[in-house]
Amino acid sequence: MTDGEIRELCNRFFDAYQDRRVDELAEIYAPDCVVWHNVFGGREMSGAENLAALPASYTMQRRRTYDDRTINTFDGGFVIQYTLHGVQHSGHRGALWICIVGSCRDGKITRIDEYMDSGKFPAWRGAKPDAAKETAS
Amino acid sequence: MRQDWNTLQLCDRFFDAIEQRDYATLERCYAPEAVVWHSHDCLYQPRDANLAMLKDGMTRLKMRFKNRRVHTFEGGFVQQHTLFVTHPNDFVGQMDVCFVAYTRDGMISRIYEYFDTGQMDKFLPPRGAA
Repeated sequence: MTDGEIRELCNRFFDAYQDRRVDELAEIYAPDCVVWHNVFGGREMSGAENLAALPASYTMQRRRTYDDRTINTFDGGFVIQYTLHGVQHSGHRGALWICIVGSCRDGKITRIDEYMDSGKFPAWRGAKPDAAKETAS
Repeated sequence: MRQDWNTLQLCDRFFDAIEQRDYATLERCYAPEAVVWHSHDCLYQPRDANLAMLKDGMTRLKMRFKNRRVHTFEGGFVQQHTLFVTHPNDFVGQMDVCFVAYTRDGMISRIYEYFDTGQMDKFLPPRGAA
């Protein structure tokens, strides 16, 4: 894939994620896609598992936007730094600062490694700073 | 290709210098205007403050960057690694880190470091044990 194709795939992925188009995401993930997060126990999950969890995850916020995207491409992949803005059902607006390293092959994403700070989850949800740790959902 | 190679060398030189407590080499890796952003406070730390923090850490702790996965891009690199830190009481902490560096003229000018402060119990010794 060329740098331009990788960049386009990366933006297509985040646009679909933002617009909650799970069917589009299913097309973007390669059949053997693996998704790993530095939080949530650090367990690798399949692309299918990741997609299956999305509809429930989407119900947790009124809106999410993937902003301030800084994308750099390398041979076979990309690194994207971005700000995830979310509007909770309470109206609270939160943000998370995230970095993803993605691997690509034949126009599809084969691996995602996502890094974020779970210490910011309470502020993301609008919880009090000393609230118990929970997931970002 | 040559630029990729130089960037890879810079990346290795930087992390090897921290591991080997080679402060002079570490300092030379930073451009004069270098700043370091961390995901826990979203602030840009000035060069001198970051170097002082690293120097202190290199003096007191043994740091190892394992499972290094590096990719170079135009104007920089990204390295994913697991940082293992051996504390004075022999507690070994670990943390998964994503390190994005922007470079110029063979030096690092800007760093973005992402990690999870929600797992500090895996990284720092239990309170009172340090």
